[in-house]
Amino acid sequence: MDVAAWIALCSPAVAVGLIALAGERMPRRTAGLVAAGATLVSFAASVVCLVALAGRDAEDRSEVSTVWTWLSAGDLNVGLSVLVDPLSVFMMLVVSGVGFLILTYAIGYMAGDAEERRYHAYKALFVFSMLLLVQGGNLLMLLCGWGMVGLSSYLLINFWHARRSAVEAGKKAFIMNAFGDATFALALFILVQHTGSLDFDVVFARAPEALGESSALAILVALGLLGGAAAKSAQIPLHTWLPDAMEGPTPVSALIHAATMVTAGVYLIARTSPLFELAPSISDLAAILGGVTILVAGVIALVQTDIKRVIAYSTMSQIGYMFVAVGLGAYGAGMFHLMTHAFFKALLFMAAGVVIHALAGEQDIRRMGGLAHELPWTYRFFLIGALALAAIPPFAGFFSKDAILASAANSGGLGWTLWSFGAIGAFLTALYTFRLLFVVFRPPMSDFAREHLHKERFEGPLAMMWPVAVLAVLSVVGGFLQVPGLWHEVDDWLGPAAESIEEATGVTAWFSALAALGLALLGIGLAWRLYGRPSEAPARLRARRFTGWFAHAFEQKLWFDRLYDFLFYRPASRLASGLGRYVEKPLFLTTLTDLGASVRGLSGRVAAAQTGVVRGYALMLAIGLAVLTVVFLLVS
Amino acid sequence: MLTTALIVLPIAGAFLLWLLPWATARAAGGLALLIALAELFLWVVALQRIDFASGGLQLATETVWFADLGVSYKVGLYDFSLWLVGLTALVTVAAVAYGMWAGRERPRAYFGLLLFLAGATVGVFTAQDLLLFYVFFEAMLIPLYVLIGVWGGVRRTAATLKFIVYTMAGSLLMLVSIIALGLANDTFDMTRLATSDNQWIFLGFLAAFAVKAPLFPFHGWLPDAYREAPSEVSALLSGVISKTAVYGVLRIVLPTFPEPVADWRTVVLALAAVGLVYASLLAFRAPDVRGVIAYSSLAQMCLIFLGLFAVNDSGLSGALLLSVVHGLVSASLFLLAGAVERRTGTGELGRLGGMARGRPILATFFITVGVIALAVPFSAAFAGEFLILNGVFVHGWGWAVAGAVAIVLAAMYVLRLVSAVLHQDPGPSVPAHALDLRPAEIGIVGALLAVLLALSFWPAGITDHAFGGEPAGKVTSLVERGR
Amino acid sequence: MAGPGIAAYLIVSVILFAIGAFGVLIRRSPLIVLLALEIMLNSGNLALLAFSRHAGNEDGQIFALAVMVVAASEAVVGLGLIVAMSRLRADLDVDKLTTLRG
Repeated sequence: MDVAAWIALCSPAVAVGLIALAGERMPRRTAGLVAAGATLVSFAASVVCLVALAGRDAEDRSEVSTVWTWLSAGDLNVGLSVLVDPLSVFMMLVVSGVGFLILTYAIGYMAGDAEERRYHAYKALFVFSMLLLVQGGNLLMLLCGWGMVGLSSYLLINFWHARRSAVEAGKKAFIMNAFGDATFALALFILVQHTGSLDFDVVFARAPEALGESSALAILVALGLLGGAAAKSAQIPLHTWLPDAMEGPTPVSALIHAATMVTAGVYLIARTSPLFELAPSISDLAAILGGVTILVAGVIALVQTDIKRVIAYSTMSQIGYMFVAVGLGAYGAGMFHLMTHAFFKALLFMAAGVVIHALAGEQDIRRMGGLAHELPWTYRFFLIGALALAAIPPFAGFFSKDAILASAANSGGLGWTLWSFGAIGAFLTALYTFRLLFVVFRPPMSDFAREHLHKERFEGPLAMMWPVAVLAVLSVVGGFLQVPGLWHEVDDWLGPAAESIEEATGVTAWFSALAALGLALLGIGLAWRLYGRPSEAPARLRARRFTGWFAHAFEQKLWFDRLYDFLFYRPASRLASGLGRYVEKPLFLTTLTDLGASVRGLSGRVAAAQTGVVRGYALMLAIGLAVLTVVFLLVS
Repeated sequence: MLTTALIVLPIAGAFLLWLLPWATARAAGGLALLIALAELFLWVVALQRIDFASGGLQLATETVWFADLGVSYKVGLYDFSLWLVGLTALVTVAAVAYGMWAGRERPRAYFGLLLFLAGATVGVFTAQDLLLFYVFFEAMLIPLYVLIGVWGGVRRTAATLKFIVYTMAGSLLMLVSIIALGLANDTFDMTRLATSDNQWIFLGFLAAFAVKAPLFPFHGWLPDAYREAPSEVSALLSGVISKTAVYGVLRIVLPTFPEPVADWRTVVLALAAVGLVYASLLAFRAPDVRGVIAYSSLAQMCLIFLGLFAVNDSGLSGALLLSVVHGLVSASLFLLAGAVERRTGTGELGRLGGMARGRPILATFFITVGVIALAVPFSAAFAGEFLILNGVFVHGWGWAVAGAVAIVLAAMYVLRLVSAVLHQDPGPSVPAHALDLRPAEIGIVGALLAVLLALSFWPAGITDHAFGGEPAGKVTSLVERGR
Repeated sequence: MAGPGIAAYLIVSVILFAIGAFGVLIRRSPLIVLLALEIMLNSGNLALLAFSRHAGNEDGQIFALAVMVVAASEAVVGLGLIVAMSRLRADLDVDKLTTLRG
């Protein structure tokens, strides 16, 4: 099993090396096949690990395998190691499985791009990094994967680096993630100082006495971890990089910014749950951040006009649900939603990608319309994804979102508040999702679409369509893995790694499920009313649904970007320029030359005493002699 | 013998190059490269002969020099200085190879000076007698003065003069300290020094090393020197020469002055932390490639000082690891900057851009070295930085927070550099026909990069094989050197 | 041998020294300066001889001989310089000969 785990981790890395070293000698398509193939190998290895783990008793399902010591100093000893346990295998399957589908899709999507090989190499690098993150055998390896994922994300977001907006978006994403890395590292320093190690089991065992319950230390550790998680998962207030990240190619958005990277924060909280449980206030904070994000992202999605940005904000909102879950302690529900969300969100992005591909790169929904007739299969897939996202049974999203809401309902006052956020969120989700569906796909066909639509024999290249189909199937059946009230496969599987809280049962559960479903159907209905009728859709889109200021605020994404620019970027830039001009230049760079000049000036003045007049020198001699004589006489 | 050979080989090679008339530039360069490679080979031999389990002085040679003063010619290697010598050898090979590739005027003089510099630097790393240490420390300045002053850029005279005067001011203070210490101990043998709690002697040594590294605020010489020197000299200067200060602190200051170090720790840590943030901010707004690399180098050296003055296992291991890694990173960056300058004739960021188009190898190398420079997690630089900040954290969380701020700033300035050179539209100075990296450049920078990647997979290669010795821990073993 | 006490000789020596010093400081012609210099040296000689007689041994007289040798050589050099300067038509005025300055 250890060997399988290492193969799963290293196979994408080998792919990167091969593509990088082969360079131009490898045909473009081959590069894509190498990358996708490596991911398939990872998936197969992950399945092997799953089977091997399932064969063991529940208590025995955790194993760390170390190849060599990565870093050591004094008592601290960190190994280059991987961890095979239920939680990591769960994530490995999601990452490599969905990753394989998306990489295959990307072969079709990126075909013909000038730098296709570079793309596939970066994609493989990302898969490796994400696997390192979820498989990391200790906190430092997790952080290493964490940082590498940020790097891959940067490389992929500004893949088309001729575009200024892409370059800026990549930088913003990396820097916000770097902030998360920094807070994460600070939490690790506290852990090292007080528990002496970074291995999961050692830290979790020693943490209760070393840090104490709800002590300042425990809170700081959890806060540092939460900072990293919030930055990586684009939760408020560290979310501004995600919409801009849509500058990257659509498969990038599908893989990184929907299915895997942004869910890393959820994984982190689940993985370090013992530490979060030591600081309940921070766990609650995580849940609250998630709740707020559900609402804010949901509303902003309502006014977006770029097809990818709608889906991006939707992702933010859904991860909010996951944060609510893990913040409240429902780890199983949170991870379950992570999995189903990976299916249907990737599906949505990829279907959107087919549309974008067919319209030669257009992403503005105001120019789309009536594509259901021309792209019927894409429409069906998109519909399936939308139904799953809106949590309509029997699609996957229903069961997972329902599990989260049921857990929230069982968590006291805060839980009910967050439940209400989640319920409103369900309404918003359905509304914006079906707004998107209706505007893009319902007739009439827009003029733009009529002119620019082009498709080959089928709606899109086959390489693009079949992964979408697979994801559609998964979005339909994936939900049956855990049905609240009936069976809890996911909870049970993850139990040893992260013990989940109990869900609500009975009347509360039914009420929760029905209320959420009702709100979702209401949302779909409203969307149909507003955008479903063919003639009114464009007009409705143009008209402001809410009056002036509100809509403007949401269109400006609540001015978070401007706030951060004002608070952080501008001061840093001004401070740096100021320091350069007023401190560095006059003080440090010219000090020596000034010193030299002043010495020269002084010596010039002193040299004036050398007049060259002999009589003057003689006089000085005489005076000096007289003074010395007097002194001598006085002293003696 | 081996240690003496490590010192003498490059110096002898230098004299050979200067005295014998060689026919062509190629021959001179070839001989220099051969000697540099031989040096590297000798180092590998030393690597195999060193016993990492024992922590004391190894491969030592000793002969008496001035008997009445107690000065001797004593050289030897420790497990930590071994890595610094290795860094010197490797970067010298890269520098000589690059100089051959770039083609410098008066090659005999040039390569001779490079070799002499290498020999003097190895001498600094291996000297175990205070006066001998001082001799080699000053001997490094002679070739640098000529290299920058003759083969440098437009403002080379001012730059080299400033560099020399600054460094000498510090060294003269160190000389006073050396004399005081030597007379107090009746011997100048480093392995037989008693600990002292004299603040002034401590400050004298610290002054020299603070200027050499440099440590904020003694960095006035840095930007001009790094900008005006030829790229491989800058690579040597920032990669290797600055580490002599690290070695000086490790070998002389920390073991000999435990009390003054503890007394002055807060001051030095404060200067290092301020310098770290200050330099990162300046790097963020520097207008040219070399400026960014220079201030980035300053930031890293301040970070290394943070680790050194934490005086615990984590801090010292991290400082040593980061020293080696930064040496390689800085050298690679300066060589790549040289490659860019050769193709575009300028280093100004405003006039560059879009170089990634059609030049995939340049882009890959630049980005890879860049992300290692910003210490992306999983890189060896991150390992070093993590250990340093972890070590300094026990002295106060504020230092680690400063380090964390620097992490974010490093991301900002490196990405700005990468984008300004590689991304968007080609800048006004970028000719369309500028070539991608040539095989020679790929080989040179690639070799450094390969070592960096290997270290990223196995940083313990250095941290596990340094400061060995008594199980009492690495700090104690450092302090108990050779007694 | 009787005669005036040592004090008298020393007073004469001091007066001569003062005259010579005055002459060095006041006069502008290098020739006269050299002359005054000679007077100062000879006053020193006088003092030496007086002390020699007072102490009863010949050390002072031998030293006075040495001083005379030095005075003679220095006078030769100085006069040679003056002749060279006059050949160059330089102004023989000490205040005007100031090329060696800072």
